[in-house]
Amino acid sequence: MALEGEAAGLAAIGAGLAVGLTGIGAGMGEKDVGAAAVGAMTEDRSIFGTAMIFMVIPETIVIFGLVVAIIALFALG
Amino acid sequence: MPLPESMSRIVVVGTKTSLEEAVEAFYSVKVLHVIDHTAGADDMSLGTPFHANLKASERLLKVRAMEKELGIGKNTETARVPVTEIKSQISSGSVEDVEAEILEVLDVKNDLNRRITELNAKMKSLELLAAIPVDLELYSGYKSLAVIAGSVESDPSEALKTLADSESFVSFKKKKGGVAAVFVRAEDRDKAASILSEHGFVETMVPEGKGPVSEALVLAGESLADLNAKLGSVEKEVEALQLKHKTFLCASDEELSIEIEKGEVPLRIAVGKHSYILDAWIPTAKVQAVTAELESRLGNDVHVECEETRGRNLHEEEEAEERFKKVPTKHNNGLIAKEFEHATNLVAVPKYQEIDPSILIMFFLPLFFGFMIGDCGYAIPFIIIGAYGLKVTRHKDWRAIATVLFFGGIWSFIFGFFFFGEALGMHFIGHWDAPMAMTWEGLLGIQLPDWFGGMMIDGHGVSKLEGHVVMLLKLTVYIGIIHIMIGYVCGYLNVRRQHNNKHAFLEKGGWIIQFIGMVVFCYAMTQVLFSRVDMEGMVLYLLIIGIVLLLAGLSVNIKSEGGKAALELPGVIGMILSYTRLAAIGMSKAGMAMAFNYIVFGMFMGMMDAVVWPEWYIMIPCLLMLAFLHFVVWTLGILSAGLHALRLQFVELMTKFFVGGGTRYEPLKIKRFKTFLTKTETDREV
Repeated sequence: MALEGEAAGLAAIGAGLAVGLTGIGAGMGEKDVGAAAVGAMTEDRSIFGTAMIFMVIPETIVIFGLVVAIIALFALG
Repeated sequence: MPLPESMSRIVVVGTKTSLEEAVEAFYSVKVLHVIDHTAGADDMSLGTPFHANLKASERLLKVRAMEKELGIGKNTETARVPVTEIKSQISSGSVEDVEAEILEVLDVKNDLNRRITELNAKMKSLELLAAIPVDLELYSGYKSLAVIAGSVESDPSEALKTLADSESFVSFKKKKGGVAAVFVRAEDRDKAASILSEHGFVETMVPEGKGPVSEALVLAGESLADLNAKLGSVEKEVEALQLKHKTFLCASDEELSIEIEKGEVPLRIAVGKHSYILDAWIPTAKVQAVTAELESRLGNDVHVECEETRGRNLHEEEEAEERFKKVPTKHNNGLIAKEFEHATNLVAVPKYQEIDPSILIMFFLPLFFGFMIGDCGYAIPFIIIGAYGLKVTRHKDWRAIATVLFFGGIWSFIFGFFFFGEALGMHFIGHWDAPMAMTWEGLLGIQLPDWFGGMMIDGHGVSKLEGHVVMLLKLTVYIGIIHIMIGYVCGYLNVRRQHNNKHAFLEKGGWIIQFIGMVVFCYAMTQVLFSRVDMEGMVLYLLIIGIVLLLAGLSVNIKSEGGKAALELPGVIGMILSYTRLAAIGMSKAGMAMAFNYIVFGMFMGMMDAVVWPEWYIMIPCLLMLAFLHFVVWTLGILSAGLHALRLQFVELMTKFFVGGGTRYEPLKIKRFKTFLTKTETDREV
C-alpha cells in the first residue's frame, strides 16, 4: 500500500517526529546515565563494562523511533 | 559450550624447615591458586614473612627512591639481566654502593637547586626595589627609625604626606603597580603600615648588601648564571648516572619485588610448630604433574594430596567449608577466543559453574561489527591495523581492540563485498547518476566483468539506503531472534548443570517457550498488519500457536517467579527490535559516506549526470578532502559499530544466561620483564 499526496507528506513528518523525539528522549536518558557513569568510573576504572552497559541502554529508544520511521517511509509510504 | 577449566583442590603438607625451598617450588609449578588460611580455623596459625624480607624491603625502598630521583619508570627501556647475576650483585651490596654514588651527586644537585631558589627570591626583591634611589645598606641599622618597603597596587604618595617626620619613596605606574619605601620613627611604624595597607601593600624583605640596588642586581644575576651553569653540569652527571645504573636499578627492583612477594607467602598459609599446610586450587589436568614435580623437588619433606575435584552442581559448593566454597575461574578457551576473555571480564568474571561467554563474543562481536560497517573500503584499514596491533601489542586492552578490528574487518570485507557490494559508500556495479547512484564502474569509466558482479547478491549487492531497507530490517530481526535464542539455551544449560532439568525448565524453560510464542505471534501479526494477508489458514494457525506458547511460557514464569514475570512480556519485543540497530547503524554510515561522496564528486567536481574529471589542481584537493571525510566516517564507525556490537553481547545476549561474580584465577607465578632465568631454570616448569 503506497501513500500519495498529503498522506505521504504526513507520513514523512511522522517519520521525522519519530526519530527526532526519540532522539531527544534517548539523549535525556543518556545525559543522566553518562554523568553518573563517568563519576563512578573516576572512582573505579574497573566498572567500565558495567557503566557502558547502562550508558547504551537508553539508545534503544531511538532505534525504536527509527524502526517506526522506516515503516512509515518504506513499508507504508 | 566451554566451561571454565575443571579445578581440583590439593593440600600440600611439609616440614617448616623446608618452607623457603617449598615456596620456590610452589612458584615454579605456576598453577597453584592459594586458598588463604583463616587464622583460628585450627591449631595452625598464619606464618610470618621470611627473615630476608626485612633487608629486601629496605633495599627495595632505596631502589625505588633512586629510580624516582633519576626518572626511571616501568617503561624505561633496559637490557634484561640474568637472575643469578642480579642476585649476586644485590647480595654483594651493590644497591648500597650505587645509592652512595647517586646520593653524592643528588646532594650537590639539591643544594644547587636550593641556592638558585633563594637567589631567585632575592632578585625578585631587588628588581622591585630598583625603582627606589636608596642604597641597600640604608634600609637597615637604625635604632629609632623603622623602614617599611614593598609593593603597592595604588599610589600612596598623597596619603603618606600626612605622616610627620618621615621620608617616603614611591615609584608607581598605573599598569604595573608600584613600590614604596617609607622611613618613619619607630613608634609611627603601625600608622605607616595602616596607610600603606589601604593601597594593597605587600611587604618585601630587603636583602642584605651594600651599594646601589642596580649593582646588587647585576651581582645576583651573575651568581645565578654561575649556579645555573653548575646545575647544568650536575644534571648531565645525573643523566650519566641514569644511563649507567638504569639496567641495574630496574632489574634489582624486579628481583627484590619478587623476593618480597615470595617471602610473604607464609602469611597466606597455615604454619605450625614444625610444619606448614597449603591449600590450593589447581587445574584438574595438572594434578598429577604438580604432585610429581613438588615431590621430586622437595623429596620426603612434602606430602601432596588431592582433596576433591569440584563439579559444576551448586550443591557441592553449598556443602563445602566456607573458604573452599568459591572455586577460581580459569578460562578454558582456544587461541582466538582467549583474546575475547577481556570483553567478558569487563562485565564480570564468569562463575566456575557457568558457560564462559567469550566464545560467543568471539563469533558474534566481529560478525555484528562487520555487518554494521559492511564496506570493503573501510574494512581494509581495519584488517591492517588489527593485524599490526595483534603483532606488536601485549597490553590486554589494546589486544582486545586489535582483535575486534582484525576479525571485524574480515567480516566487514565479506559483507561489504558479497552482500552489500560496495566500497567507500559506492556500489561497484551500476551506472553513474549522482547522488543516489554513484558507482565505481561509473566513476572509473570501466565495465567490470560479469563474474565480478555475479559474486554479489542480486548481481550488484544490497542497497542500504533504498530498495532493500525493509529487507535489512527483517534480516536483523531474524539475526536477533537467533542470538537471543542462543542466550536462552545457554541459560537453560547453565541451570541444568547447576541444579537439574526440572529447575532449568522452571527457571529458563518458561522464558524460551514464551520467547518462541512471541516470535510466532509477532510474525503472524506482521503478516496481517503490514503484508495485508487475511487472517485465515497458516497465518491463523501461527497466531493461535503463538498465543498458546506465549500463555504456556507465561504461566511457567508466573509459577516460578510470580506475577512480575508478566510485566516483562513487552520487553521481549523490545529486545528483538533492539537488533535493528545492526541495519540502522549501517544505514547511517552509508548515508554519511554517500553525502560526502556527493559533496566531493557532485558538488566540487561537478560530476552530477556524467563523469568528467576536472583539471588536476582541482582534483587533488578534492580527493584529499574526500580522504579526510571518509576518515571521519571510518572513525565514527569504530565507535558506533564497536560499541553497539559490544552492547548487543552484554545486554541482549549475556543477560539471558550470564551471572558472573566468579573469583579470578591467580596462581603463584612470576612474570619477569627486566630479568630472565637461564635455560636450565626455565626447563624445570611443569
